[in-house]
Amino acid sequence: MRSLVVEHLDVRYGGVHAVRDLSFEVGPGEIVGLIGANGAGKSSTLHAIMGVAPATGEVRLGGVSLRGRRPEDVARDGVALVPEGRRIFAELTVEENLRLGLAARRARGDVAAVLQSVYELFPIVEEFGRRQAGALSGGQQQQLAIARALVAEPDVLLLDEPSLGLAPTVVDIVFDALAAIRDRGLGVLLVEQRAQRTVAVSDRCHVLANGELRVTLGPENANDTETMVAAYFS
Amino acid sequence: MRRLTALQELAGPALLVIVTALLGTLVSISTQGYFTDTLVKVAMVVALYTFVGNSGVLSFGHISFVAVGAWTAGVLSVPSDVKPAIMPNLAHMLRDRTTGNLSSLALAALVGGICALVVALPLMRLSGLAAGIATFGVLEITHNLLRYEEKIGPGLNAFSSVPETTGLRQAAIGALVVVVVAFAYGRSRFGRLLRATREDPAAARAVGVSIYRQRLGAFALSGVLAGLAGGLYVHLLPVNTESVYLDLTFITLAMLVVGGATSLWGAVVGALAVSALDSYLAVAENGSSFFGAQIDLPAGTRVVIVGTLMAVVLILRPNGLTGGREFRVWRR
Amino acid sequence: MTMLAIWNIDWQTIADATALGGVYALMAVGIGLVFGVLRLVNFAYGQLVMAGAFSLALASQWGWPQWAGIGLCFAVVLALSMLMDRLVFRPLRGHSPAVMLVATFAVAFLLQSIALLWFGPLGKIATSLAYLNRPITISHVDIRKITIVAVVVAALCLVALALLLERTTVGLHMRASSMDFQTARMLGVRANRVIAMAVLVSGALAAVVAVMLTVQNPLVTPDFALRDTIIVLAGVVLGGMNRPIPATLGGFAIGFASGLLGGALPTNQSQYLPTFLFAAVILVLLVRPGGIFTRARLVERV
Repeated sequence: MRSLVVEHLDVRYGGVHAVRDLSFEVGPGEIVGLIGANGAGKSSTLHAIMGVAPATGEVRLGGVSLRGRRPEDVARDGVALVPEGRRIFAELTVEENLRLGLAARRARGDVAAVLQSVYELFPIVEEFGRRQAGALSGGQQQQLAIARALVAEPDVLLLDEPSLGLAPTVVDIVFDALAAIRDRGLGVLLVEQRAQRTVAVSDRCHVLANGELRVTLGPENANDTETMVAAYFS
Repeated sequence: MRRLTALQELAGPALLVIVTALLGTLVSISTQGYFTDTLVKVAMVVALYTFVGNSGVLSFGHISFVAVGAWTAGVLSVPSDVKPAIMPNLAHMLRDRTTGNLSSLALAALVGGICALVVALPLMRLSGLAAGIATFGVLEITHNLLRYEEKIGPGLNAFSSVPETTGLRQAAIGALVVVVVAFAYGRSRFGRLLRATREDPAAARAVGVSIYRQRLGAFALSGVLAGLAGGLYVHLLPVNTESVYLDLTFITLAMLVVGGATSLWGAVVGALAVSALDSYLAVAENGSSFFGAQIDLPAGTRVVIVGTLMAVVLILRPNGLTGGREFRVWRR
Repeated sequence: MTMLAIWNIDWQTIADATALGGVYALMAVGIGLVFGVLRLVNFAYGQLVMAGAFSLALASQWGWPQWAGIGLCFAVVLALSMLMDRLVFRPLRGHSPAVMLVATFAVAFLLQSIALLWFGPLGKIATSLAYLNRPITISHVDIRKITIVAVVVAALCLVALALLLERTTVGLHMRASSMDFQTARMLGVRANRVIAMAVLVSGALAAVVAVMLTVQNPLVTPDFALRDTIIVLAGVVLGGMNRPIPATLGGFAIGFASGLLGGALPTNQSQYLPTFLFAAVILVLLVRPGGIFTRARLVERV
């Protein structure tokens, strides 16, 4: 497994400066959180890594630069994205959605073993394989979206607000799954609005405001509301 | 100052039309035909712009109203004594009446506008591809009916014996009238409202603008202008159903997009640029010398070159030569 | 049959209408596939068919055997499709649908004028497959061989296409791309490969259509297949542009309808076929602007 390194990242949309000089690293077996208010630049950072936002600076995976590459090539290099709003293909079956994730898989053969390891994490994906993905509940769709990213066997998993709009019990499933994914040795970059839970689950959690990194928190800060509020509104 | 700024948006296109007409007086009679034709094309493209440019909805149907205008003016101006020979099956009402040049043009505009209004009443409820295909359907239906309905025109034959009153002067005046009307509409409350629906339909609707009504009005007005252009056209050359069908639809749409579909300036520049190139090549094809250059092109190359250039401009510069902006010498 | 007899329709008309529907269905899929991945209405599709038809005519003029003529037709159409993708579709990617439509309109016009320059307005005659126009008699009904061939070939092509889309990985990628291209790409679906595949399949269908249309109408002129393209486009929009099955059904329906109408209208009214057809198209669009074979929803704004 390789580390994802982001250095001096800047994202601009026309006159809007969405991300300023952002640097961080996601190593194997780490969860790195990225939290902040709406418009702080979290999603823009993910889009820049995937090559779909205009960015300057450096993004490297295992020492190899990803800058200027097409999104499909970034995915095939080993960075998988669970997009905001899940972006499930509602008219395809659950299984077909999962097979789409294989598009980015570099290794050949033994698809069954990969699927099996994902089914262990998310049993409902196997159970509902033949259903139309649009018929699943929001929580089930979120599990499918993560499963779809995992079958590519990426080095790094990027998640854009996976808990958005989910019931508390389902949020537990998602966060438990993230811990399990980390334990398999993947690097996880988690963009979230639920600050407290994210800080608790992350090895490091960066707080963004106005596109800039304001402070980095560790799990020990999870109950330190004061620090977090100060970081948000700094 | 503000009014002056607005007026230069009219002055640019109007001056271009006048300069074209003046240039036309300097050349030989045979070359003058190209200038006259160009000015009529300007009228057609500006008519098209009035709807397409302001609304942002593509229409393949506007040449229908040019055709209807041409038929109206044509049928009314063929002298009564030759009517039975050219149009033996003409309805009695039309056979016995003949009007003068000006009233035939006015009626062409009126009938074009009425047809456009009737078409727009149902069609303006559509948008997107559905609207595009529906307007195409209007073109097909108009072409089909005019081609076979001999009670209202010459059917498959061309309009011969229509007095050729569209010389350089009539074409220039006609084009100027169309440009001024299009400008006045664009500056009016209605023009602004329609452009608002083009830029942001949701916001426009949210502040109470009826997209349907604004499009309806623009479509009918552009039908009036297209009808007038059709009247000018039939007084210029013997029009038949094929000359107001797909090729003309294509060339006028291309002129509009090549110039820049979202501005009056773009419509005029596009029409003039493409016509100028087309005419130059047509002259070159005939092997004569033009502005000192002696060129001899094989017949048919003209359409290929014009087609290639238009495709290239559309692909590489889809906002058109003017970028879709109005003419300005100075900016506020 | 009594009901149909009043309308002046016999089995032969129904067979011919089915064949026309089949050919139009193939064109509809060809247009729909490219629209699916590129959001581009390719108005120049008919000119691909025209180029294929001219290849067949030239091959028969040169005395080439049938298979070589058909081979040439496929080679020319596929090459032209790929050229169109490189030179036109790629630079246009991401532009507004209106611009793309007018640009392909320009390409159509250009290809037509090139054909006019090369072959003249009178065109050429493709004779090598003309024997397929001879009728065979099935239970007292005379049916031209090409009618049967067209129905069978169209059915085979559609089945093959369905298998490609439903059963193969590239098919899955094509379907996903036509639903949400951005997400598909971020999952690792290679955009250029999917687009190339759509363009190639669409070109191959154009070649098949070229072969079948030249049998029915051996005189190949520069405006060959132009009218058919306009009618098919109407059918595709009627059916529902952005899904392959509704688009195919729309193409078939409009082909079948125009075949039936052509047979049903009394001779003194048959010249008004386009009026009836397009009036029906407009009526249907007003009722179901998003397509008759889809759930009611508006398509792309132009």
